[in-house]
Amino acid sequence: MLILLKGGRIVDPANGRDEAGDLWIENDRIVAAPPGRLADEVHDVSGKIVMAGAIDIHSHIAGGNVNTARLLLPEKHQNHLPNPPALPLSTAKWSTFETGTIYASMGFTTVIEPAIVPHQALQAHLELSDIPIIDKGTLTVLGNDDFLLSLLRDGEGQAAVADYVASAVAASNGLGVKCINAGGATAFKYNARTFSLDDVVPFYGLTSRQIVEALQRAVEDIQIPHPLHLHANNLGIPGNVATALATIEAARGERLHFAHLQFYSYGAEGDRGFSSAAAELAAAVNAAPNVTIDVGQVMFRQTVTISADVLRQFNGVAMAKPKKSVIHDGDGNGGGIVPYLYRENDFANAVQWACGLELFMLIDDSWRVFFTTDHPNGAPFTTYPEIFALIMNRDARAEATARLPPEALAMTTLPSIAREYTLSEIATMTRAAPAKLLGLKDRGHLGEGGLADIAVYTRGKDLAKMFRFAHLVFKDGDLVVRDGRVTHYRWGKALKVNPGYDKAIDRRLAAYYDHHFGVSRDLFAVKENFLPRTGMFREVACAR
Amino acid sequence: MSEARIDGKPASLAAAAERAAEILSAARMPVIAGLGTDVAGARASILLAEKLRGAYDHMYSVRIFADLDVMRQAGLMFTTPNEARLRADVLLFIGKDLTKIWPAMMTRLSPAEIPPFDLARKPRKILWIAPGRGGAKVEGLAVQTLDSSDLHAALAALRARAAGRPVSCAKRMLRKLDEFAEVLKKARFGVAVWGGDSLDCLMIEMLHGLIRDLNKTTRFSGLPLGCDSNAAGVVQASGWMTGFPVRTSFGRGFPEHDTWRFDATRMIESGEADAAVWISAYGPEAPPWKKNIPLVALASPQTAFAREPQVCIGVGCPGIDHDAAEFSRETASIVGRLASHGSPAPSVAAIIGQIAKHFGEDASC
Repeated sequence: MLILLKGGRIVDPANGRDEAGDLWIENDRIVAAPPGRLADEVHDVSGKIVMAGAIDIHSHIAGGNVNTARLLLPEKHQNHLPNPPALPLSTAKWSTFETGTIYASMGFTTVIEPAIVPHQALQAHLELSDIPIIDKGTLTVLGNDDFLLSLLRDGEGQAAVADYVASAVAASNGLGVKCINAGGATAFKYNARTFSLDDVVPFYGLTSRQIVEALQRAVEDIQIPHPLHLHANNLGIPGNVATALATIEAARGERLHFAHLQFYSYGAEGDRGFSSAAAELAAAVNAAPNVTIDVGQVMFRQTVTISADVLRQFNGVAMAKPKKSVIHDGDGNGGGIVPYLYRENDFANAVQWACGLELFMLIDDSWRVFFTTDHPNGAPFTTYPEIFALIMNRDARAEATARLPPEALAMTTLPSIAREYTLSEIATMTRAAPAKLLGLKDRGHLGEGGLADIAVYTRGKDLAKMFRFAHLVFKDGDLVVRDGRVTHYRWGKALKVNPGYDKAIDRRLAAYYDHHFGVSRDLFAVKENFLPRTGMFREVACAR
Repeated sequence: MSEARIDGKPASLAAAAERAAEILSAARMPVIAGLGTDVAGARASILLAEKLRGAYDHMYSVRIFADLDVMRQAGLMFTTPNEARLRADVLLFIGKDLTKIWPAMMTRLSPAEIPPFDLARKPRKILWIAPGRGGAKVEGLAVQTLDSSDLHAALAALRARAAGRPVSCAKRMLRKLDEFAEVLKKARFGVAVWGGDSLDCLMIEMLHGLIRDLNKTTRFSGLPLGCDSNAAGVVQASGWMTGFPVRTSFGRGFPEHDTWRFDATRMIESGEADAAVWISAYGPEAPPWKKNIPLVALASPQTAFAREPQVCIGVGCPGIDHDAAEFSRETASIVGRLASHGSPAPSVAAIIGQIAKHFGEDASC
């Protein structure tokens, strides 16, 4: 099938294009204009914006903690709308089916679930299998797992650590490695209530810094394209900008992805001891080309915080709204589910909101700042269109800002910022840069040979509407969305890496599981025969 | 090989599936009950319920909701058997039927061993509330027991004493409560283990309150043992597919959850449901209702029914006859199990898939 998208504005920063032009699709790929052939299907998209499908690098869409949150809050997702017959469960709020449907209708075609501990990987992949249309991937959470900590404590050397990390990622079919409050969850099991970069994990005698450094090196050693994805210590605490700055410093110039930086951009200034330090932090990111960040924007509404940073979640239990929460001391990280209501007239929430926008605005390089709400921790991903409007239009920002408590705004630099994101910068931040960061060479761009994951938007005054309802969306060349409505399901791939390693570590791990846990490690492996469909993994090459 | 019957007479799988589809399509409100099946079977059943605009429930819902209702009303703290085995310096068992629910519990938690990740590396302290006659045995360790005919009062009093508040009870009981409270407060990583029919919602909520109080100064968590027949796995699959646990209906074209309205037995006895699918792949459990309604059974071949179902199809056991993903009590997570004695006995997912085909070829899921 040969498809022509005729006369749109092609916004493709990966190939340096922002111009009117045609785009040809054959089967699942973007192709050069085929001389002498007529398209089987022509879409006149003149005046429309044509971009690659968007890629979300950090959104909690699957796994045991997410599912616990669903079960914890039935009253927050009552349904009212029957689904179209062709789209079973697509209107069931917060279902996997709805997740894929909404992402697709906004023009997203790849989404990464960033927090899967190895022992929850099978459930996570079962959930991902039920998310229609989009491609998915998971990051494997390490850094509080006893085997790793014992390797480090016993000074086993970097090769053993790298083999272990590779084996854990391979067994859980992950796309990369995430580390969440390194050592903090383990320290919490020993009754630590705070845990910072140079605090020591009891029993193991290791600092958080040492664990992060070891994982960062391991990821490089086994040549996973995505750098270590770090959820740092002291999330959400006034004055934690010091931790964030120290963590950037601790990367020693090596590649590091710093997740949801907004939650670490807090000073302790002012009468209330809470202020934005986003400007200072943005300057540090600008000066550290080895560091990428995603924002974790806060929006004002009911949400639920879902995090494998169990220590932080435990400390947040008193803030739960509604007043109930789950704290899980799991194998490795565990997690905490704490519902939360961000309010516009709340001083701290307003500062948080402003911090996120300051980071968007003050980090110069749109290849190194990524668009996230840490869904659903800062806000549900359904708020993305509103956030696009806020960063692309200073009037929209001023209007929203005017509703906030002035004393909160006084603690930020946001009112002084005039920057507006261009469409090309949006495409960089949500398409080209994520593909590069994750090592996905086949997407994030509109060049020949690229995967035909394409979003076409209707430019209008209402930027939020433009991004909420894509005019057309193609996934693998299949037209799945027309005027913001999904027309049919198809099933996307799970992207994974398969790093090479010395298999001797698997024998050690088998013995460790038999002895310590008393169960076989094989129970936790994600094998295709346990999933609803076969052939659904796509390997992303290791080596950079 | 396939063991299918229509009205008690041997039939081919295809004919049985076709007859099942006829029965279900004639129903105004069919209900899928039992749901003793692996994740794939649950998934297929929920998709079928959606097509039929029916409801679904699990045979152990009463126990499922004892824990789940507490979680969604008050919250919960819980841990895994691995963590309990490796770290717990104090184990607080509650109830008389724990080893009946989980015969391998003592092997798995290995209480007589010094917890390898405990800093003090001392023998564990074992407390047992309401162990019943002949319970409370842990090889190699002394067990402190607290007998009570009123578990509500005992748990409330223990929580009060642990928080330093007065209670009114016999001196001997008070001394015992204080002994228990002291051990709990001095725990470094304590784990409370409960399950079965001994605890209702109020008791579990009280226990959770105790756990939360203890966490003000030390670490303590819970280990609910849950139910058999993959109840937790079915609840998980239901959670991600619909947002809700079992006892959910598609009667209005979207999932609605209500633990009373969509109790399968209640729906059937009251006449609200007019056809049922009974699924029991893990064992020969028979439907608990008395009313005679059209019944399609996907059950373990040994199942003895009070009345012959209109359609009865013998299915294999997950993890034995066929590979399966299911929730494992040993790990408190969904795990993959390769068939231990692979056989051609069909899986629930395969049979439901065949029935669903009669409602339109829908390759979409």
